[in-house]
Amino acid sequence: MKAIDNPASVSAGQHGLSSAIEQRKAYVQVDLLVIPLIVLLFMGIFSFHFALLVGDWDYWVDWRDRRWWPLVTPLALSVLPGVFGFLLWDKLRLPLGGTLTILCLTLAAWISRYLNFHIFADFPMNFVWPSTYIGLGLILDCMLLLTRSFFWTGLFGGFAFGLLIYPLNWSMLAPFQVPLELNGTMLTVADLMGYEYIRTAIPEYVRIIEESTLRTFGSAVTPLTAVFAGFLNILNYWFWLWIGYLGAKALWIRKIV
Amino acid sequence: MSSVMQNNTYVSPKGPWAKLFLALFGVGILYGSYRIYQNATAFTVGLDYFSEDFQTYWMTLLYIQLPVLFGSGAAIVGWIWHTRDRHLDKLAPAEELRRYFVVLAQIMAFAVIAYLTASPFTEADAAWHQVTVRDTDFTPTHIVLFYFAIPMFIISGVVAFAYARTRLPQFANRLSLPFAVVVAGPIMIMPNLGLNEWGHTFFYAEELFAAPIHWGFVLLGWATFAAGGLVVQILTRVVELTKVVSVSEGAESSRAVAVGVSV
Repeated sequence: MKAIDNPASVSAGQHGLSSAIEQRKAYVQVDLLVIPLIVLLFMGIFSFHFALLVGDWDYWVDWRDRRWWPLVTPLALSVLPGVFGFLLWDKLRLPLGGTLTILCLTLAAWISRYLNFHIFADFPMNFVWPSTYIGLGLILDCMLLLTRSFFWTGLFGGFAFGLLIYPLNWSMLAPFQVPLELNGTMLTVADLMGYEYIRTAIPEYVRIIEESTLRTFGSAVTPLTAVFAGFLNILNYWFWLWIGYLGAKALWIRKIV
Repeated sequence: MSSVMQNNTYVSPKGPWAKLFLALFGVGILYGSYRIYQNATAFTVGLDYFSEDFQTYWMTLLYIQLPVLFGSGAAIVGWIWHTRDRHLDKLAPAEELRRYFVVLAQIMAFAVIAYLTASPFTEADAAWHQVTVRDTDFTPTHIVLFYFAIPMFIISGVVAFAYARTRLPQFANRLSLPFAVVVAGPIMIMPNLGLNEWGHTFFYAEELFAAPIHWGFVLLGWATFAAGGLVVQILTRVVELTKVVSVSEGAESSRAVAVGVSV
């Protein structure tokens, strides 16, 4: 494939709009078409991407453990803020990439959780509610607005993005982490709900979490995971910014092969 | 382009709003009907592929929708090709701008279908597989998702691409790589379905939605990341076409130029 330049220009006949008013009308038409288009695309892409990479952790309250959920979620969650954050900031000077994409994901998640998991599959909503992530998008965008630098945004914003998932959700998650005793075994409210609502994904997952020596760290597991997630997410955010840079290239080619 | 030309100006065309809302209404009715049908019959006659009821209520639907979708898609793209503009070199800017609004409306319809397919209908499959065990590749959620919603997704993308290729000079003369990538992603989901179903015949009880067997879909979904390049291509040209070239609203308006996107 060979990339070529864009020689396009307005050609023969009429040459341009007749006034600034007409120009404004044209821009309104573009805005009315492009803005909902982008929001809908974000809702669809983010929902699809998130569901197929870390969806299970977000679907079920008993999946929100302290080892994998805070680690893998920010890695999947910062992809679209990186990719489209680059486009929105570099091309349009809009520091909206994090907030807008995550808001779109949240909207899509609530619609789907209610229609599919509650109405269709009959799970109670307090078992399938989506986690909240909008605050992370705000942090990322504020960092970009203040520093005007992808480097510092990745370093500080990316780190905070990974670090804060657990505390951001803690107030909603806490009631489900209350311990209780069932037939002589201690478990959480979320675990009990999980046992009551049998799912095909249950057995594999119950076997793989809370293994290995990290358990000996006791209550330090969560902050350890959060800091590791923050570190990974710095690199992750920078990587997806670079993908966004590639994706925003207006490349033209003569033919595919 | 000269910024001082007189009497060679035009007024802004409108987007094809009536047609767009009609199309979106049709999409809403179609997807809504499928959803209602799914709710009404999935857990009653959709649990056992080998039952007579499943063949009647679900396989019949599959056998009807596939040729209808394939035929409709081929007919629409064929019509777009047959009625293509053979004199693009003489295309007036006003008409070109109108056609950009049309292609944006088509991409809007693509985005609506993308959302419906990728979120509510994909996660209906996620919810379904948590409460039932698949007995074949054909389940009530698969028949709707893979053999109706994703073909609709593909058709809507190909239609927009074909329209741009046949009616917009810059898309006709060269190939937009971002546009091609955005359209190719959904198309390649269908072959990837083979990997998915093949894998599920081995990992039968494994129904984690985040399982590696599904990551092929994620990769193809990432094709839409090229939408940024397509937006830049379209807006760059729209900016050129919306420059003000005559003074009709005072001196201030003559200096108004389009700066909506940096390129």
